[in-house]
This record gives sequence, C-alpha cells and structure tokens, in this order.
Amino acid sequence: VIRPIGGVTLAALAAGLVMAFGVAPREATQGNVQRIMYLHVPSVWVAYLAFAVVLVASIAYLARRSEAADRVAHASAEVGVLFTGLTIATGSIWGKPTWGTWWTWDARLTSVSILFVMYLGYLLLRGMIEDRERGARYAAVVGIVAAFNIPLVHFSVYWWRTLHQPPSLMKPGPGTMPDVIVAALLVNFAAFSLLYVYFVAKRVRLLRCEAEADG
Amino acid sequence: MADNWGFVLTAYGLAAVVLVAYWRRLVRREKELRGRSRVAPISGHPRSEPASRHPL
Repeated sequence: VIRPIGGVTLAALAAGLVMAFGVAPREATQGNVQRIMYLHVPSVWVAYLAFAVVLVASIAYLARRSEAADRVAHASAEVGVLFTGLTIATGSIWGKPTWGTWWTWDARLTSVSILFVMYLGYLLLRGMIEDRERGARYAAVVGIVAAFNIPLVHFSVYWWRTLHQPPSLMKPGPGTMPDVIVAALLVNFAAFSLLYVYFVAKRVRLLRCEAEADG
Repeated sequence: MADNWGFVLTAYGLAAVVLVAYWRRLVRREKELRGRSRVAPISGHPRSEPASRHPL
C-alpha cells in the first residue's frame, strides 16, 4: 500500500513544482521570492495536521492503551517536527530579502519556535524513557498539552501586533489572492499532505518492526 | 523588488535535501531491520562448518 502512495506523492510533488515555477506568475510586489510561499505555507499546514493527529492519537492511546495509536502519534510527531523545521527555515530564507532580516522575535515566529521545541521535547522524552508503556503514557500527555499551542500559533497574527502578515488562505471570508496563486498553493497542499501520509505510514511500519524486533 | 532567485533556490534546495535525507533514513533503517530478521533464525540454528561435516 505504501509504495503506490509514494508514487502518487512523487507525481503530486512534481505537479506542485510545475505550478510553483511554471504556472504561477511572478508576484507583482515581492517578485519571484514569493515562490517560496508554495513551499512554506504547505509545510506549516502539514505541521498543523501532524500535531492534530498527535493530539487525536494521544487521546486514543490514553483511552484504549492501543499500541497502534501510540505508534501513529510517535510517527506523526516526528514528521511534524520535520515540517515545522522546514517552515522555520524557509520562512527565514524568505524573510531576509523581504523584511531585511533572517529572524525577529515576532509573535508568530516565536510561537512557532516554541511549538517546534515542544514537539522536539516530546520526541526526546520518548527516547529517554526505557519502559515503553510509561514512555508512551508520558508522551501522550505531552502530545495533548503541546497541541494547545497550535491555535496560539495560527491566531498569533490577530492577537498580537506582528511583522508576519495574517493568513491569506486559511481564514474566514472571501479570498484576496488571484485564482492561479490559490491553485498553485492548493496543488502543493495536496502534494505535501500526501507526503505526510507516505512518511507517517512508512514510519509507523518501521516502529512496528522495531517493536517486534525488540520483543 | 529584485527577484532574489538565490533565496528561492536555497529554500527549495534545502527542502529537497532535508526530505530526501529523512526518506533515506527510513529506507536504511527498514533494510537494517529486514536484514536482522533474516539473520536471526540462522543464528538460532547455527550451520555446521564445512570442515566439521562428515565426508560422504
């Protein structure tokens, strides 16, 4: 099942690149550097998705003590950390030519960094505790608590005065972006979501094999 | 505004390197585990050395 998902993901990523570089026009104000958004925005979407899955799987684990739910939470957290790191790095690369700085302690940037560190801590916690059941239980609690940071990250641009612009896509009301830019973003959203599913499926299988090998 | 293609290529290049590295890490670990599970039953039932075999 995983291999076909990988094939479809690869095709979707190629389509995303075509949309980002071939179809979407050069943005009038920012120039071509805006094309980083076709990478940055889907990355943060996958990070949100991954940590929401950690929340649901952690609740499921605590309710049923299901090892499968624990494996999904573990895998999703790892992939979420990967994409949060990518979000921060690509945002910083975009920020230098646009804002004139690689980094600023703006509410959005700071809250997303806290999110990154919290889930990094989640993964470290799992690695530190030898008793698998106890480690899973503690991690589930951290996975639930850390999820409260997701709305804080998303709404930080409304709640505080920030340098980071408010969302252009994931917001209520009519959109202000041209259709072709929205289409390029949506194709990349789909491609990155597939990549998330592929990575999580692969990581869950690996965790199951590791558990079987350890006995 | 200047086009800043260097920044665009750096961002996409970095993403490609990170994602491919993570994928390779998963594949490598999977191969290791597969190799270990193949070796395990053999080590549980050691084969006799050719020198110790009885001649036909």
